[in-house]
Amino acid sequence: MIEFESVAKVFDGQREALSNVNFRLAPGEMAFLTGHSGAGKSTLLRLILGFETASSGVVRVAGTDLSTLSGEKLARYRRRVGVVFQDPNLEDDLSVYDNVALPLRISGFSESEIPKRVKAALSRVDLSDQAKARPRVLSGGQQQRVGIARAIVHRPALLVADEPTGNLDPELSARVMRMFTQFQQLGVTILVATHERAVVESLPFRRLVIERGSLVSDGMGANR
Amino acid sequence: MNRWILDHTQAIADAWKRTSDRFTQFIVLVCLLGILLAIPGWLAQIWIGMASLVPKDAVRSEAIVFLKKDLDVEARIDLERLLSEMPWVDEIMFVPRSAALEQLSSQDGLESIAELKNNNPLPDALRLKFTMHGVEASENEIIEKLTSDRRVLSLRYYPSTRIQYASLVEMLGFLGVGLSLLTIIGVLMAVFLVAAADVVDDRRRIELYTLLGASRRFIKRPYLYRATILGVLAGLIACLVITLLNEVLSSVLALSLKAIDTRLSNFPMDGRILIGVASIAVFTSWVGAERAVSRRLKALH
Repeated sequence: MIEFESVAKVFDGQREALSNVNFRLAPGEMAFLTGHSGAGKSTLLRLILGFETASSGVVRVAGTDLSTLSGEKLARYRRRVGVVFQDPNLEDDLSVYDNVALPLRISGFSESEIPKRVKAALSRVDLSDQAKARPRVLSGGQQQRVGIARAIVHRPALLVADEPTGNLDPELSARVMRMFTQFQQLGVTILVATHERAVVESLPFRRLVIERGSLVSDGMGANR
Repeated sequence: MNRWILDHTQAIADAWKRTSDRFTQFIVLVCLLGILLAIPGWLAQIWIGMASLVPKDAVRSEAIVFLKKDLDVEARIDLERLLSEMPWVDEIMFVPRSAALEQLSSQDGLESIAELKNNNPLPDALRLKFTMHGVEASENEIIEKLTSDRRVLSLRYYPSTRIQYASLVEMLGFLGVGLSLLTIIGVLMAVFLVAAADVVDDRRRIELYTLLGASRRFIKRPYLYRATILGVLAGLIACLVITLLNEVLSSVLALSLKAIDTRLSNFPMDGRILIGVASIAVFTSWVGAERAVSRRLKALH
């Protein structure tokens, strides 16, 4: 699903954020991307989301070289990817329902299809009873779950999460990870960027460790 | 409902929400742009209003075409017919030399020339009144053409008041157009800055929408609708200001002018100006916002 081939990213012609990164993530696989702050995790995610282009090497997602995409094609590609942030980045003016429906509206789903999908997504994150609420009245954990519902509502084949448990307590973090595990069992490819060792060690998934822009380790949890 | 209609309805709702969030700023901007646009609009109203009240004689030139002495009647009639068929000729009158002599002899101090009746030195003439709707050069071309005609002895040309003041009027016209362009650039810049500031304020939201796969067109839509609302309201304000100015000034001018010409009792408002000003308001707002949002989105992406 995700393929990095000798990828390097240099900013301003001198600051090397990524250097010779090689890895493949099979469809339906879940992996953690770990490393200290500034190690290059976010740059790697931005490359996957098409916000940056590699200075050298190739980034492929579902067989498509992302450097060949631009404009409308890039937008269409992003519609097939789910994204979860550390800060759920919800729209305060919209209800939970409308926040979750946002990707569907952007993707041009019919109004008859939207309620079914939103209901299913909210039910998956146990927030069916909060559909009409405004995000500001929800707790941090609930807001993060709304963010997750928004990321999965259009049933993406790839889910990218950037520090999804960064603002949550251990119990909520574990709950969010359980959700990711469920999505992975449904066939979604998941890449979770995190620097929380406890989260990574609690689950038996592949770990990609990045340090100073280089991939220094790629293996299962037990190998680390 | 059709997805397209829903998307646009949503964009209009978003635009309205943005407007109501910054209502005071929006109203100030609408009034500012409206007043700014009213300036060229009002100038145009004065221009067109005055032009419509200019007496016909002020735009009509006159020429006395002296015919060659040995010209036979047929050739003269042929020339007269040819000239009368010209679209710019308002009036053509044949003045026989006997009539010219009588007229001259009736004038003060010229009685003695009546004695020349049997040996009249004057040529026959055609008195031509014409109105060109073009510029001075067109009238000159006509005069040159007539002068070079083999049937014409000579010609005396009395240009219209409009032609005499053409260069002054042209200069004033350029000034008006220049002022209008400056105003339009001012409106464009104001809308550009406001729209660019809106995009900076909404940076977080725009990044989210981009991540979710929204196209630039989708993201731009609310800003363009907001600019359109701004343009429509600014256009309305401008039309209102122009109409009010016209009412007030026309009544003041009418007091002095209606004695000269009854048509000058009021300056009718020209609908084309109102439509033009409103269209320019919407167009410039739209273009200003489009450019600003496109540039900002390009920088953000």
